[in-house]
Amino acid sequence: MQFKRQLTAFALAMGTAAAFAQATVGVSWSNFQEERWKTDEAAIKAELAKSGTKYISADAGGSAEKQLADIDALIAKGAKVLIVLAMDKDAILPAVNKANQQKIPVIAYDRLIEAPGVTYITFDNKEVGRMQARAVLAAKPKGNYAMIKGSPTDPNAQFLRDGQQEVLDAAIKKGDIKIVGDEFTDGWKPEVAQKNMEQILTKNGGKVDAVVASNDGMAGGVVAALAAKGLKGVPVSGQDADHGALNRVALGTQLVSVWKDSRDLGRESAAAAVALAAGKKPAGAAAWAGGEKKVSVQAQFLKPVAITQANLDVVVKGGWIKKEALCKGVTDPKVAACK
Amino acid sequence: MNQPLQSIRSASVDWRMVLMAGVLVAISLIFNAFSDGIFLSPENLYNIAQQTAVVGILATVMVLVIVARHIDLSVGSVMGFVGVLIATLMYSANWSWPAASLAGLAAAILVAMYQGSLTAVVGVPSFVVTLGGLMSFRGAAFLVADGRTQPVTDPFFLRLGGGIDGAIGATASWVLGVLMCLALALTMMGRRRARQRYGVPTNALGIDILMVAVPCAIVLGFVATMNAYQIPNKDAPQGIPVPVLIWIAVALCMSFLVHRTRFGRYVFAMGGNPDAAALVGIPVRRVTLQLFVLLAVLTTIAAIVSIARLNAGTNSLGNNMELLVIAATVIGGTALAGGSGSILGSVLGALIMQSIDSGMLLLDVPIGWRYVIIGQVLIVAVVFDVLYRRWSGDTP
Repeated sequence: MQFKRQLTAFALAMGTAAAFAQATVGVSWSNFQEERWKTDEAAIKAELAKSGTKYISADAGGSAEKQLADIDALIAKGAKVLIVLAMDKDAILPAVNKANQQKIPVIAYDRLIEAPGVTYITFDNKEVGRMQARAVLAAKPKGNYAMIKGSPTDPNAQFLRDGQQEVLDAAIKKGDIKIVGDEFTDGWKPEVAQKNMEQILTKNGGKVDAVVASNDGMAGGVVAALAAKGLKGVPVSGQDADHGALNRVALGTQLVSVWKDSRDLGRESAAAAVALAAGKKPAGAAAWAGGEKKVSVQAQFLKPVAITQANLDVVVKGGWIKKEALCKGVTDPKVAACK
Repeated sequence: MNQPLQSIRSASVDWRMVLMAGVLVAISLIFNAFSDGIFLSPENLYNIAQQTAVVGILATVMVLVIVARHIDLSVGSVMGFVGVLIATLMYSANWSWPAASLAGLAAAILVAMYQGSLTAVVGVPSFVVTLGGLMSFRGAAFLVADGRTQPVTDPFFLRLGGGIDGAIGATASWVLGVLMCLALALTMMGRRRARQRYGVPTNALGIDILMVAVPCAIVLGFVATMNAYQIPNKDAPQGIPVPVLIWIAVALCMSFLVHRTRFGRYVFAMGGNPDAAALVGIPVRRVTLQLFVLLAVLTTIAAIVSIARLNAGTNSLGNNMELLVIAATVIGGTALAGGSGSILGSVLGALIMQSIDSGMLLLDVPIGWRYVIIGQVLIVAVVFDVLYRRWSGDTP
């Protein structure tokens, strides 16, 4: 018995050492055809390469069934940690349970998988909402606010709005801020946001001092509506760092775009995978049970970055956008990133 | 049958249009009362006119498509595809706006030839062809710019979508309004004279004068309203917005096509009875193809107006637009079974729908209720249509 335990300890130690030398991380993509995951993959690969960890991957091509087979295959190929971008958060559970039984840690990448033992890494949507509201509040501490929310069928729209409310609540109670319009936007569509903004402006006789829009597409519609009424200098928020929106930030027609750099997500997940392969708990992860089924998982929420005119150089240096695209039509010499 | 009712029916007045206009007025008055007078303010009417233009432009041609017993479910997706294409060519490839717009038109015509020939030559139902198109061209709209939003900045081009400089000013608006009234009066005089010459009984003079005076009053009232709207930090009133002007021009051209050209008569004949139309020698295939090409031209115009209005081409442009367009057409009294419909009806249908939507936004009606109500308006319109046809003895 004693001997056996020692042997196990030895094997574990060997295993850990081997993990450091040549661990393998398996990544199961739900649908790699989408443009954005390529950015994520590059970041994961770069981070894994630093510790000499091997990268293997499979693409489910949008099929929840194929993803189950993919995960089996990744385990068979020797993956010691799995990073899973789930196609279907429920259909994936059998595969995750199988990995758990074999003591293979699973990282739920960007989309929550509610199973014990999972490490969930994503951006904090509530924090995105808070950052949007904070930036607008700093620019216009008093006045009439219009809230342009996302799609009524997308739970993220409400998370964002909740975050915005947290920041604005005190000022609303004090009477400094009055919400004069609070509209959902069917399908996050810019043209719908434009129409809603026009009606909010008409209803209030054009007296809207700030607009908290939940993403950049809708911010575009809002800016078009404001421009058509000749309103200048109204702070507008957004999210996603769309190229068009960053150009608007440079031009000064949009105040802020909150950027969720998917390379951060890739890098942090890879780092967590390396830690898990070495048998360590990923730094930054904590117990969290805020999902639909209230299952307790380890979760790590990444902080997005608020991009304003002051820190536009971040997106250029990060290789997210070319300077020509960012600075198209910018003549204001105060915009440092466009000099 | 009592005598006055009979004479009302036989007078060449389109009572359905009069009733629809009445409904529009009633809706406006109700919203106006509830919104403390904001609904009928020049600013809000200016908004509604602009917000309706894109759907309105597409609805004028959708009337003909439905009259010909076809349907186009892909119109929103194709508009999105063409719009993103034009925006991309201007923004990412630095093309001038006329060149980019022509390229967009060429793409739209190619799409129309493809879908049109499948329908007209191969004989695949247009419902299926355009259902496929609905998905494919939404995808194409994504692929053109990799899903990225393409800003539109050319100041002249932006005027086509309205915006701060996108209206023609007070003087030009009045001139146009008066010209339209003159044209109405001259047409009516010409028609009376022709009827008298051929010994066909004419309407009572009073009725004909009313039929010029009422539309004329509406036109001048519209001009006066648009001229009453002034953006606070501008020193001149706006006048008719360019997108609305485009819509009016499109509606007039389409009315001309329907009433005065062989093409228009063919379309209605095909819709009324396709077999008979083919037997009397109407080139059904060619006319169907021409109809699809006409649709492509108007889709391009709608795409240009909507990207100019939004100041950007986005891959979601025109999403679900086909449903709004078809609803406007149906509310405007076009029978889905084909064979009957009117351009003016589609204009009123689009206005009724947008007025209800914008009015409910002003009153802060929650989004769920807005959908419930607009859906029921569509049903009410069709029920009314069925009852009206029964009353007037017209078989649908």
